[in-house]
Order: sequence, then structure tokens, then C-alpha cells
Amino acid sequence: MYFCDIVKPRERNYLKQVKTWHQSRDINDKACHASNYSEMMSEREAAKYPFIQAGVKLVEGLNLQLDDLTDPNYRKVLDRAAERVTEAIIQGEVSAKLAEPLTELLSYPIAVMYVTLIGEQFLSRRFALAEAVRSYNLLQQEYEDKIMQIAEDEFSWNIVKDPEYIDGTQHNLKLRFSDYLRSASGFHEPKWKLVNRKMEDGFVSLTGIEAARLIQVEVDNWVKERVSTPSKFSLPQEIQSRVDAVRKVFEENRSKLGGSRLPEEIINEAFPPCMIYCLEGLLSGRRASHMERFGLTSFLVNIGMPIDQMVSFYTDVTDFDESLTRYQIEHIAGLKGNRTRYTPPTCATLRTHGICRNMDSICKTVSHPLSYYRKKAWRIQRREKEKAKETQAETSNTTKQE
Amino acid sequence: MEEEWGSPKFVAEQFQRWYAQHSHTIPAPIELPQREFAFLNFFGRGMHRHIKLPTLQELQRYLRQNAPAHSYHSSGYYDDPTADMTRKGWLGADLVFDIDADHFELPCQKVHDKWWCRNCDEQGTGHLPEICKCGKAQFTTETWICEKCLQAAKHETHKLLDILIQDFGVHPDELITNFSGNRGYHVHVHNNDFKTLNQHARREIVDYIMAIGLEPEFQGFSQRNRGTRSTLAMGGWRGRTGRALYDYISEAKPEEIKKLKLGRKASSNIINNKEQVLETLMERHPSNITPLIDPKSLKTVLNEALGLQASEIDTVVTTDIHRLIRLPNTLHGKTGWQVQTIPYGALPDYDPLVKSVVMSGSPVKLEFKRAPKIQLKGEGYGPYNEEEVTLPMEAALFYLCKKGARVKNE
Repeated sequence: MYFCDIVKPRERNYLKQVKTWHQSRDINDKACHASNYSEMMSEREAAKYPFIQAGVKLVEGLNLQLDDLTDPNYRKVLDRAAERVTEAIIQGEVSAKLAEPLTELLSYPIAVMYVTLIGEQFLSRRFALAEAVRSYNLLQQEYEDKIMQIAEDEFSWNIVKDPEYIDGTQHNLKLRFSDYLRSASGFHEPKWKLVNRKMEDGFVSLTGIEAARLIQVEVDNWVKERVSTPSKFSLPQEIQSRVDAVRKVFEENRSKLGGSRLPEEIINEAFPPCMIYCLEGLLSGRRASHMERFGLTSFLVNIGMPIDQMVSFYTDVTDFDESLTRYQIEHIAGLKGNRTRYTPPTCATLRTHGICRNMDSICKTVSHPLSYYRKKAWRIQRREKEKAKETQAETSNTTKQE
Repeated sequence: MEEEWGSPKFVAEQFQRWYAQHSHTIPAPIELPQREFAFLNFFGRGMHRHIKLPTLQELQRYLRQNAPAHSYHSSGYYDDPTADMTRKGWLGADLVFDIDADHFELPCQKVHDKWWCRNCDEQGTGHLPEICKCGKAQFTTETWICEKCLQAAKHETHKLLDILIQDFGVHPDELITNFSGNRGYHVHVHNNDFKTLNQHARREIVDYIMAIGLEPEFQGFSQRNRGTRSTLAMGGWRGRTGRALYDYISEAKPEEIKKLKLGRKASSNIINNKEQVLETLMERHPSNITPLIDPKSLKTVLNEALGLQASEIDTVVTTDIHRLIRLPNTLHGKTGWQVQTIPYGALPDYDPLVKSVVMSGSPVKLEFKRAPKIQLKGEGYGPYNEEEVTLPMEAALFYLCKKGARVKNE
């Protein structure tokens, strides 16, 4: 297995470059190889932003093999790559070590390789986000022109410079709404909602920092795409040991990093108000909209209600046809049709369709009905445990007195 | 055998006659080969869908041969429009909007819409209650149309078009506005920037158009904000929020304001210092409103006021990237009217009850169950109640399609 088969062409090119330049010397001895200023600049740029195309243009044509990485010259690179993944796991944010640009830029594709070798979806997502945050941190220090250039060149944004003051804050950039929505429609804070932005003629006003934050989403997607397919093959010892070390860090930290599970038994008291609204509607026989029925059904499927129980519940309280109801529930549960299990709509979607009702204090802290359920179930269980402890304590007290 | 209410066979014949003469006038939607078509006929038997009609000739021939009761095309573009949903290969979709008077609360519905509870004997007029007195919500309904509903729908359509053009920068050439053939209007946007947007992005657009999630502090209404000028004349929601507030406050009666249960100071300022509030809105930056109306009260007032500027669109239609929507210029089987494309600029003067009534023919003798009045092509008809009347074809078809009558065979 060649290393170049598992890294994408762009990363492969970095390695090709390095191989020709640094076969027998310290790969960070810049003075030796950076023949001109612009080359040095683009090297540094590529080290900062692994997604920029400038890195690709630096060199061409080579056939670097996995075994080449065992060369002592690459030890720093292998270590830095392991560090990138470890930082992603522990801090949720990769640092930027630009003092040795080539180590930094080469360590990225190798970090990607580690992540795909471990092959855990949760790690892949966390790594992508941590790399994206790294880019965001670096972008914030750039001039707006640089931010614009990256947005245009790397992500084909339609962005222009057109300074204006909005409520006393300078907004220098204007971004086409479609590019804006591609990144911002996943955000939850009110300030990112399109309706809360100044938009005219299809362009949304932004500050430079805000543009950088939107680029973070693009980087997140870019990295995610590259780490989403797990790979498996035997590695030279030097690399295997590092993958194992990173895997160990991941296993140790996994439980701390959230991703906690839903309770095993269904806890009715933990239902979010929107789902209670849907349920009550169904019980009263109100003609529920498609979105209401879909929302409730996918919610019940996800919290683990058995399908038979749902079918009898639906057919008892409504005049739904049993076989059709079963088919639809099984479809949502991923047993029929395209075999994907649907998750319930987000709070934002429920809100758009008028199903978000009777918000309470927990609602304000979550953005998904399942998160509400998880949170409230946890609280209920904790309360019950405390109660149990108290009663235990009381009974032991009474026993003592007796 | 007794004639069925609505006389579907008779109506189907009239549709056939019309399509035989007019199918050649029906234009193809753009990017025809990538569209899915779907049709319903007059006799139940479900929807015929996943149909591909890649040329204008094939489309027109299909309409001529089948004279469907309802004709639809997909808002989406597909690699293979005939495949089932998972294998179609989605390439993109127009942004579509549906404005339907059925979703509004209108006084005229009290006059022409009725409901009955299937569980108890309760009945009423106008919009359905959420739940009947008996605790159930199983209703039978009868909904009709009048010029007031259609006027309300047109007003919402105007607001929608304004937002699309001014805020989203859509060029009027990229917009198609259709009378839906029933109670409202459809707007299609053909523009590459919208085409590949996913459901989340479309949901944000819906929220924008309906002002869902709008926070006053991001429209300038916060003491933390600084600025010198009023936002009233500005574009986007900054201007709209101010104008909605201005219009609402200047029109609102003291009783209405009291009902909102605002903070005492805010309530008194809006009722007694109306002039000062309006002048502040007109002349100064919105941050100067907060001393007059506290933030919480402002939110409550805006809840009422934003509807004046937002457009009441159907949220599901716009967020669905696989939507089937009526094929423009075909007939609507529930009214017998034409789904008509209205040229940009012609909407203000467009009268669907004249223009979309396209079928004519010899008078028909009808037996009525129950039907309210309507004005078609300037001629008034109804109300009718369990009686026999001979009507011109256009009026007869409307009452038949609405199933309020049947053909009286001699």
C-alpha cells in the first residue's frame, strides 16, 4: 500500500514536493530551498491553511511511498501529526505551529491518515471541527482582503468589499445570500439568522471576523469529506505506534466528550413541549400536518418506542389504516425504502412550521428535541437517585433510632 | 341511477373539450426534460406520477389525450424523473411559494365556510377551532372562495414579490407568478443561486419572508446600538421592522394595545404619547425607542405588527425540494378555472374571477345542495339552497367542481 493511495491528490503533492527537496536534509531548513520570497510565502500559507490550492502548485510529479515516511527526517512530521489529532481530541482545537512551516503543512495529511485509520465517525467529526477552528483562529488575524481572497479562490464565494456602518459597527464586506446560507443556516444564535442580517439586493453585510467564522464551516466540511471514509492497511512500525497512541488518547477521552446516550427506557415526563403538543393533537383527533406526524413519529422511533406499540397507539387514537401506518413508521425507522433512519426535525425547523409551542427553560438551551429529551431525562434520573438516597438515609436513620 | 354530486363525468367532458382546443397554448416549464410530471383524473384511482414529458409536443399531447383534473410538475430537476424518489438523482429545484387564503384568518370565511363535528352535533362557520367542545377534533368542512379571500392572497403575494426583488435581488424576469386556480397564488423563482440550496437554507428563506425569529435588537432597537438616522426608509427588515411598527402604532386602537398587556410605561407611551413615539420612529435611530417602549413590550408589539410587512406563505411548500406544483396554464379540477401566469407588473389589476374563468358553452340545468354566492366575469350568482337553476357554463362548472350541485338530467 502506498501512502499516496490513501491521501488525496492535494496532500500527496505536498509530499512529492518535500521528497524532492529534502531527501537528505532537515526539511525545515528554509534558507536552503526557498529560492524566492513568493515561494516561501506560499509555503507558509499552505502551512496555515491546508485547504488552499497554492500548496498544490508548489511541486509536481512524484511517487512517495508509505515506507519513505519511516525516514528519520519525517519523525517530526509524524509526531506533529499525532499531536494534531490529540489536540483535536482533548482541546477540540488544533494549534498552529508555524515556526516550522513544512512540518506543519506535511503533518496535516498524515493526521488525516491517522484519523481514517482509527475510523471512528465521532473522532472524524471532532477532528474536522478542531482543524476548522484552527483555520478560524488564523483567519481572524488576517486582513479583510486576505479573508476575501481565500473565500473567493478556495470556496468560490461571491463576496465584495463595500464598507458601511450598521448601528455603529463597521461592516466591510458583502456576501451573496446563497453563499451566506450555505454556511450560516446551521448556526443557532439569533444574530446569524438571515432575518436578523442586513440584506439588500441579494447581498448580506458582514464584518471580516464574521466572514472568517463562515469560512470555518467551509473548512469543517472540507476536512470532514476527507476523513469520512475509514481505511485499513498494515503500517510500518514507526507509524503504527503513533496511531495506537492516538487511539488510546481517544478511547480514554471518549466518554468525557459527550455523545452521551439516550435513556434506555422511555421517560414520558422528559418529552419536549413540542412533542407533547403533537401528541395531544393526535389524541384529540386534530388533523395533524405531515410535519407534525413526521416529527412525532421520528421522535418516538429515536427514543426507542417499539414499532408494534406505535402502530397500535396510532391506530387506536386515529382512524389511520393499520398497514399504511405500519409502512410509514417502518419507513421512518429505516426498515423500509431507502433504509435511512430519520432523526426528528431540529428546533429551527419545528419553529418554521409552527410546531414549536410552549417553550420552557430547557428549550432555550437546546436546538434539537432529542437533546431536550436527553437533558431532561438525565435531570429526572438524577433527581430520582437523590430521592432514593434520601429515603435510604432516612430508613437507615429510623432503623438506628429503633 | 342517481347522478353523483359534482357530476364528474360531465365536468371531465368539458375539460376534454377545452384541452382539445387549447392544449397548444400551454407552454413548457423551463428545463422540461429534467422535470417530473404528475396528474390526477376525475375518477379517483390515485395520482399518476414519475412521468417524463421531455418535449413540448409530448406534454401538450398528454394534456390533450388525458384532460387531467389536476396537473403538476416537480419544482425539482432530476437525472431521471421517472425513477422512484431515492433514485431520481436530484440536481436542484426552483424556489417555489404557495400563498393560500385557506391559511389566513379572514372575516369573509365566517360567511362562506362551514364545519361540522363528526363526533357531536356541534357546527360553526369560518375557521376550524383547534378542538371541538366535545374534546375531539374530527371535522367535516366546506370551504368556498370569494373576491375578499382572493384579494387578501394577492396582498400577501405583493409583499412576497417585494421581498424577493428588493432583498434577495431577484430579477423580475426570473419570477413566475401564477394564480393557483383556486384560493391563492404561486410564485416560482428560476435562479441559479437558489437552485441548489438545501432544505436548511430554504427554511432560513421562509423564516426571512415570514419574519420568524426576528429580534428587534438586530434591527437597531437596542440601547447598545448607536446611530443617527431613522431606519424607516431602509431596505431589508431594518426598514420593514420600523415601518411595521409605525403603521401598527398609528392605526392601533387603545383597547387593542391594552389587550397586549404591555409594560405600564410602554402601554401609556403608545396610547398617550403616540405622536412622540411615531416621531421618534420617523426621525431618529431605533435605539431611541427603547426608553419609550421596553424591550419585552417591544417584542410583543412587533409580534402583532410584523405581519403587516411579512408575507404569509406556506412553510412546507417552500422548504420541500421535491415539491409537485401546479403546471401553469392548465385547469384546476376543484374550480374549473385556469392556473394562470400573470405577467410581471400586471398583478395589481389582475382579477382572477374574470381572467381565469376560461371555459364557456351552453347553459346547464343544475340541482343544488347548498352553495354561497360568487361573482364570475362580472355576473353575480347564488346563494343557492336545495333548488334547481339553469346557469351559464362557466358558473355551472364552478359549482359542479366545488361539488355543491349536480347536473339535472331531464
